[in-house]
Amino acid sequence: MAMDKQEFLETFGLQVQVLDVWIEQQWLIPEKTPSGMRFREIDVARARLIRELQSEIGANDAGIDVILHLMDQLHGMRRVLAQLRREMGGPQA
Amino acid sequence: MNNPYEVLGVASTASAAELQSAYRKLAKKLHPDLNPGDKAAEEKFKEVAAAYDLLGDIDKRKRFDAGEFDASGAERPPRQHFYRDYAGGEAEHPYADTSGYADFMDGDDIFADLLRRSQTKRANRRGQDMHYRLAIDFAESIAGATKRITLPDGGTLDVKIPAGLVDGQTIRLRGKGATGAGTGGPGDALIEVEVLPDPRFTRDGDDISIEVPVSLSEAVLGGPVRIPTATGAVTMTVPKGSNTGTTLRLKGKGAPRHGGGFGDQFVKLKVVLPSPPDPELEAFVAGWAKGKAFNPREEG
Repeated sequence: MAMDKQEFLETFGLQVQVLDVWIEQQWLIPEKTPSGMRFREIDVARARLIRELQSEIGANDAGIDVILHLMDQLHGMRRVLAQLRREMGGPQA
Repeated sequence: MNNPYEVLGVASTASAAELQSAYRKLAKKLHPDLNPGDKAAEEKFKEVAAAYDLLGDIDKRKRFDAGEFDASGAERPPRQHFYRDYAGGEAEHPYADTSGYADFMDGDDIFADLLRRSQTKRANRRGQDMHYRLAIDFAESIAGATKRITLPDGGTLDVKIPAGLVDGQTIRLRGKGATGAGTGGPGDALIEVEVLPDPRFTRDGDDISIEVPVSLSEAVLGGPVRIPTATGAVTMTVPKGSNTGTTLRLKGKGAPRHGGGFGDQFVKLKVVLPSPPDPELEAFVAGWAKGKAFNPREEG
């Protein structure tokens, strides 16, 4: 289920200034709609990950920045691999 | 569950700091989002997290050490999904990053071509359609109107209601939906319009019907009567000798027709005796009814 900005801030106990920083650094890219920001399930999962990187892994901001960047490249590569496998007649999805 | 001390790889005398350090080291290695290709990572991470949940809490650790419960009773509720569960798959999302293999896309070989093709498909997606609901009243549905929808973030959307709109009709505003990706345009706003029922009017296709009470003298003698329509009141002549059920037609006072013109408004009369009852009328009818044979309940 998608959320609006208010619900999102409440779910993560986030201050709006912190969210602004996350968005500015492109850690999070919520959907912009005529009715405001919309946080899809993937955005919520990503926010949860950022929190866990902070609390469970103990990463600092610079670390999180690098982790997210490399992780996104990794997922990008996995997706194209999956796509190629599909096109070559491999297992679907 | 295995012995939580063993799972974390610490002695049972470990300090809180040692516990946290051991947990973090393992979490770093086993977190599913740091191991997107390891299907078993979720299970391994869960076990470590549960062990730390237990031992990291002073009270729970004390009770466990005292043998008050076994480890399996203390598991945290299962975590639903990790980021990796959303990042894969074919669904569009803005975090997909192709720079990890961008160099493989340069070149004239088949492989580069395959990669390039798979990229454009995703990059220029049209935005989502947004759905809204709006209620208007009967007069507005017939005459048309401009309504303003206030959106949750305080923004507004002006919606032009076409004259003649039917209950449940959806209006599509092109380009007023969510923004798209790359060169994909915005989606549309789809507004489902409800026409609130009016106690006076009933719509039937392009025609409108209304039941109008008339007095005994208006029905018997005829005369001008003010009739409401969807676009305002008009004066109509009730013919002499009208009866309950007599239906008169107001041409062009219905809903707009496709292709031009308007439907009609049908006015069904209902003869209403004076209220409170008029003793003069009663006296007159008593005299008048003698010898009259008209019985409306007989057939033919």
